[in-house]
Amino acid sequence: MRRALLLAAMLVLGSCKVQLTPEGLAKTWDAITDAQKDLTPENEYWTGRSVATNLLARHEYRYHDADALQDGRLEGATAYVSAVGGVLAASAMETTRKGDRPAPIAGWHFTIIESDTINAFAAPGGWVFVTTAAIEAAQSEDELAAVLAHEIAHVVRGHALGSIKKGRWANVAKTALDTSVQLDEQSLGELTQVFEGAMDDMIDGILVKGYSKDTEYEADRVGLEIMAHAGYDPQALVRYLKTLDAEQGGGGGGFQATHPKASDRISKIQGKAQELGKVEIPQVRFARFKAAVEEL
Amino acid sequence: MQRVRTSKQWFAVIAAGLALAGAVAVAAPKTGSTVTVRVMSAKVMKSPKFIGPAAGSVSRGDQLTIAEIKGDWYRVTGAKTGWINRTSVVEGKVALSSSPGGGGAASRDEVELAGRGFTPDVEEEYRGKHPDLDFSHVEAIEKTGIDLSELGAFVDEGGLGGDQ
Repeated sequence: MRRALLLAAMLVLGSCKVQLTPEGLAKTWDAITDAQKDLTPENEYWTGRSVATNLLARHEYRYHDADALQDGRLEGATAYVSAVGGVLAASAMETTRKGDRPAPIAGWHFTIIESDTINAFAAPGGWVFVTTAAIEAAQSEDELAAVLAHEIAHVVRGHALGSIKKGRWANVAKTALDTSVQLDEQSLGELTQVFEGAMDDMIDGILVKGYSKDTEYEADRVGLEIMAHAGYDPQALVRYLKTLDAEQGGGGGGFQATHPKASDRISKIQGKAQELGKVEIPQVRFARFKAAVEEL
Repeated sequence: MQRVRTSKQWFAVIAAGLALAGAVAVAAPKTGSTVTVRVMSAKVMKSPKFIGPAAGSVSRGDQLTIAEIKGDWYRVTGAKTGWINRTSVVEGKVALSSSPGGGGAASRDEVELAGRGFTPDVEEEYRGKHPDLDFSHVEAIEKTGIDLSELGAFVDEGGLGGDQ
């Protein structure tokens, strides 16, 4: 029986490099649960809704064009930011890397938070938030695109999901993750406990402590590629970071609290931005950006 | 203390592995094979690109037949005829509902594709513990999807697009 199970495990795991001794089977289980912890797009969808709700709650649910959104319409500056974000999302879907999550189950959503703090953040499942102050700090559509592309990159690369501490899963029984058995009350309780902890981990990463510097630099690099493929000027990210550097200096909340120093980010991405080329920005992009800012 | 698993538990381990393998398997798509729409809604495009004229809309669970493959795009027939990106679909015929991952009455396909972890049941439990959180905002915003196919004028006017 055990032999048959070992063979079955070998067939299932294909080229996975695990030792299929009884000890190895324990590792096999770990491999399975590790993959499970990577979470499917459906898991990401249900996670993202709660993360987004928590992020909105921390801003007292003050978001722009709220009445229109409640009626199911994209209007004003929100419609404009969503159009810029939509072009970038399409670009992200066309420039995927291994392990990317470019196509959220319920699509992408771009919401403007009413706040005087320059910030932008994203939740799993395609939720991107940008503050009114962050939009006003931009000088052009391309600079706004740089902010949004950075956030899209966080989602596509699964950075928030990756910030969930692995230890959260330690007390979950194997059967709770087994789709072949009915989910019982105890398993549901264990999974909900992990979910609670995961919310804390992700909100810490997104809004409180920030991600690691390397994670932020990766979001900058990937964001640049998304921008360039969409036809936006990659140099716009450098220009926006220079504005942040000049305006915020060494202090302040928002971006400053959760991101590496703007000057460090500039030095990390300047070469790549140049390599991707400079784009002559048509006047119409400046004009429609200005019109959208006036609607804020 | 090391827990000793019974053969039934080992079976569960293997079954979970099989389910997972089924969920993540990426078989090479072939013309004539079926794909199922995984996202809530997607546009079937007149040409293989995200932005431009659409031939129609499809919803999660709709099944389409691949008539041609071009990179990450499938020309499909069925509920709608046109091009759909591979990121919007899953290989094979899969019974899916409009509630990703299902909930109580979910089909086996739905549960296996979605996996356990975080599901509608877990969200419901979480919401019960946090009545202060107002989910009505994300639920409203979620209904306002961006129609990428309608961004053509925005892209053209702004000199955007590149390869799109």
